[in-house]
Amino acid sequence: MKTYHDIASDGGSRILEQVSAQQERLTARLSSVRRIVAIASGKGGVGKSTLTAMLAAALGQQSCRVGILDADLNGPSMAHMMGVRRHVPIPANGSVSPALAANDVAVMSMDMFLPADSTPLLWRAPSQQNAFTWRSMVEMSALRELLSDTDWGKLDVLLIDLPPGSDRIQNLADLLPDLSGVIIVTTPAAVAQMVVSRSITLATDVAGLAVIGLVENMTSFACPVCSHQQRLFPAAPDTRSLAEEHDLAYLGSIPFDSQLARQLDHGRCFVSTSPDSPASRAIFSVARSVHTRLNL
Amino acid sequence: MGLSETHGPFDGTLSIVYECPVCSHRIAMLTNRAETQMVRSLGVKIGGRQTEAEPMETLRSSLAVPRDGEPEQAASRSKCPFTGVVSEAFAAPETPEFEWMPEAKARIEAIPPFIREMVQQNVEEYARQHGYRRIDEAVMDEVKGALGM
Ligand SMILES: Nc1ncnc2c1ncn2[C@@H]1O[C@H](COP(=O)(O)OP(=O)(O)OP(=O)(O)O)[C@@H](O)[C@H]1O
Ligand SMILES: [Mg+2]
Repeated sequence: MKTYHDIASDGGSRILEQVSAQQERLTARLSSVRRIVAIASGKGGVGKSTLTAMLAAALGQQSCRVGILDADLNGPSMAHMMGVRRHVPIPANGSVSPALAANDVAVMSMDMFLPADSTPLLWRAPSQQNAFTWRSMVEMSALRELLSDTDWGKLDVLLIDLPPGSDRIQNLADLLPDLSGVIIVTTPAAVAQMVVSRSITLATDVAGLAVIGLVENMTSFACPVCSHQQRLFPAAPDTRSLAEEHDLAYLGSIPFDSQLARQLDHGRCFVSTSPDSPASRAIFSVARSVHTRLNL
Repeated sequence: MGLSETHGPFDGTLSIVYECPVCSHRIAMLTNRAETQMVRSLGVKIGGRQTEAEPMETLRSSLAVPRDGEPEQAASRSKCPFTGVVSEAFAAPETPEFEWMPEAKARIEAIPPFIREMVQQNVEEYARQHGYRRIDEAVMDEVKGALGM
């Protein structure tokens, strides 16, 4: 009988080989994607998903082939916002098909694998006790599979909508060494800017990522009656100074628009239905800037 | 060594205790919930992978509540609590690794049962090292020569 000491390496499981095969699969899949960009913020609720959805649509209108990966596994929203919540990803030939939204944007999201909007993301285990020890690991595996096992086809740009938290930027950088860069989103609120400032430092100094630029969301509110522009956070610090402080490009500011929120809630493409609204124009301007900076 | 007692399975942990009938020396084997779960989380197979990973394999097989119409998962339906706990982390070989030719199989079956398995494992290990998929009498002879049997 073999004893523990007789078992050479990992006993023939070839774990390392299996892990590098996973990495090769990921690299092979993404070789037909020109640029991969994460939309991130240390702060929650600042409009990362909104910007991802609208930027994808705007770039799609500029005849770019765009994909969206919803990396917010626990709070997925992209399938809903892009109007493809009903899509069922069917496996065929070693991959699954993404959903196709307006402007031919390919979308893959965790909620396409869950039965209902009320189903939380829960991983199967003999016990949920101490699940914190392995949960982030299974989530990284799921994220890797969503990237490597989706038939993205040829894309000019793949946008990755990250969940809130600076650590997420680091995790993604570990998984994707070829990440082209990150777009950071903030609101003009002082608290948001403080948290976002930390995420920028983490992204550049620790994860060694290129930050494509900073986007300010919910800057102002247009009165629906007289169209007067009112700042949402009147005493807030200037986001341009935050960009300058970190030597980053300021990509633009997007006003608060209740129509935009309503359209997204119904999975409709706001920049297509209201292309002349101030919010759409701001989004188009950010998209042009991103287009140039990524050399698309 | 004889089976002495088992504990669990409890919350994914299980232990099996063996005892020597002569000297009463006891050894225990145990599964550790966190370790088993950790390996499963990596999306790798213990014992090596025989077939290529299915698309979204880890994601689909790990969801507690999958969407309707998802392929049926190989849940722990094993009768044995030990394998039931760990089986999902293991590779399920679709096809046997080696093809045993009838003459070679007959020679193995002629070996006394108590060492038959050990000999078979030695032959397979030799075949694996030499890249043989099919085991026939010629391979058996080679092994015999190599091991000085
Ligand atoms: N410019 C805007 N005008 C109107 N509503 C907006 C705007 N930007 C975002 N919202 C609304 O604010 C809410 C939060 O936006 P969103 O989900 O995009 O934020 P997030 O940063 O992705 O959040 P999380 O951190 O939870 O992922 C949504 O209901 C969205 O519709
Ligand atoms: Mg979001």
